[in-house]
Amino acid sequence: MAVVSAFLVPGSPLPYVKRDNPPWGKIATGLERAGTALVQSKPDVILLYSTQWIAVLDQLWQTRSRVSGLHVDENWHEYGELPYVLKIDTQLAKACVSATGTIGVKSKAVNYDGFPIDTGTIVAANFLNPGGKIPMVLASNNLYHDFALTEKLGRLAARLAGKQKKRVAVVGVGNFSGAFFRHEIDIAKDKLVAPKYDRWNKKILALLQAGDRRGLSAALPEFATKGQADMGFKHGAWVLGALGGKFTGAQVHAYGPLYGSGGAVVEFRLK
Amino acid sequence: MPRTQKKGAIVAGFLAPHPPHLVYGENPPQNEPRSQCGWEQLRWAYERARKSLDALKPDVLLVHSPHWITQQGHHFLGVPQLSGKSVDPIFPNIFRYSFELNVDVALAEACCAEGAKQGLYTKLMRNPHFRVDYGTITTLHMIRPQWDIPVVGLSANNSPYYLSTEEGLEEMDRLGRATRTAIEKLGRRAVLLASNTLCHWHFHEEPALPEDMSQEHPQSLSGYQWDMRMIDLLRQGNTKEVFRLLPQFIDEAFAEVKSGAFTWMFAAMGYPEIPAELHGYGTVIGTGNAVMEWNLEQAKLSKPASKTRASRRAIRQAA
Ligand SMILES: [Fe+2]
Repeated sequence: MAVVSAFLVPGSPLPYVKRDNPPWGKIATGLERAGTALVQSKPDVILLYSTQWIAVLDQLWQTRSRVSGLHVDENWHEYGELPYVLKIDTQLAKACVSATGTIGVKSKAVNYDGFPIDTGTIVAANFLNPGGKIPMVLASNNLYHDFALTEKLGRLAARLAGKQKKRVAVVGVGNFSGAFFRHEIDIAKDKLVAPKYDRWNKKILALLQAGDRRGLSAALPEFATKGQADMGFKHGAWVLGALGGKFTGAQVHAYGPLYGSGGAVVEFRLK
Repeated sequence: MPRTQKKGAIVAGFLAPHPPHLVYGENPPQNEPRSQCGWEQLRWAYERARKSLDALKPDVLLVHSPHWITQQGHHFLGVPQLSGKSVDPIFPNIFRYSFELNVDVALAEACCAEGAKQGLYTKLMRNPHFRVDYGTITTLHMIRPQWDIPVVGLSANNSPYYLSTEEGLEEMDRLGRATRTAIEKLGRRAVLLASNTLCHWHFHEEPALPEDMSQEHPQSLSGYQWDMRMIDLLRQGNTKEVFRLLPQFIDEAFAEVKSGAFTWMFAAMGYPEIPAELHGYGTVIGTGNAVMEWNLEQAKLSKPASKTRASRRAIRQAA
């Protein structure tokens, strides 16, 4: 099996830029634990899908061998910058571009100086792959793709990595419940927007922890609507697709509010 | 520094959409990719708008863009100078533009403060490393390629997407009124730019050559018909009917005006019932785009007038 580790992480910049706020610091610590686990799994490549890299025409894949810069989040600019240096596995990314036609998806390679890398990708990379040492494949979230198609994309990317005899860490970047506070709050007392979202998030986390794949499949469509899962939980689809649905449980490294939305750091147990 | 006058005024508003294709078609030195041609009707529409803007001699351009999305509050660019390279995340093949702009920070601060007085959550963007979004840049380039007029950039809080369309647009009405008050207090001659496409149904594939105009046409007949209906009402000055129909237009034509710029601009102008000047209409990857002007100075409406206040009240009551 090509996949040696798999994670779900939130894409909010808050744990990175404002970790001195206790609720967000807890998530940052969880992300660091996940980062340690990822490095220990000794992957050759990280396959990363971020709900915040939005595409509307084709499925986009980053194919520039090195991307670096200083990003400022559109919304949380007051908390400072997000520097990044990422190494891209261009061989695998190009293989993905060429192969998605087999699942009915038109792909495009993105290789431009100054191309905007989304906050979620940067935050995840900085926690899980500090210094950008491990090569990555970055995939976009096409708004017209559904959960099932995103699962297929994840499966295809993992299969192509296997063909290239690479050990893979797969990462889905996005929130659990996506509903957030729209107005100023006391950030030290951050909480989920409503108890129902907390219940939904905990339900999905429990199914992941128990390795209850059937229960998870049954619950996810309702989670997407009633739990307002971020982007229909397509980052979860990416990971589950890459795993071929095979996992035995999960460890939750952190769970908590990110300005009202649900942030969870989850490591899948593969054996 | 902007020239000041006794009492400020909004001298004009423009519907000024931001498809990056228009910059690409023009081939300005700031944009890396080169084109052969493309979208001439819209580019020539902007040429006419540029002339009008030039004659108005504004102190400041205020632009509201749907592509600076802020989930918490309405934000305003608040750094004196911003520069960088803007690469469109959807069309990086055609838009990689090096920009430099000056911000009217005092006016941005005033808009921010007045917005808060209206009960809105507002914030200033003070980070000098901030990358200005491609919607703001495209609109500003197309209307004033000289980049010699200070700007105030407003983000899209996207309240109409989280609340109902009507509730969200009510917030944009308050933001517009706050903007007007700030302009009047600071004594600016201001031009407002609503950076919005009309019908937003688009094709899902680009032609191999992006400027292949043989592939360019409205994506949807009903969307085109909606655009013509709304443009015609605007040309007649039937603002009341436009705002009565706006939620339905948004739903049925997937109109980008949902993001609020159009309502913000009209609220700031006091919903003037004057005929709009249509500089031109064209499609870009199937979406409908109109460059339109409301010259308040010409219509002698650039000063706060009881008539415009009354019509604004009437529109709110109708809603
Ligand atoms: Fe747009």
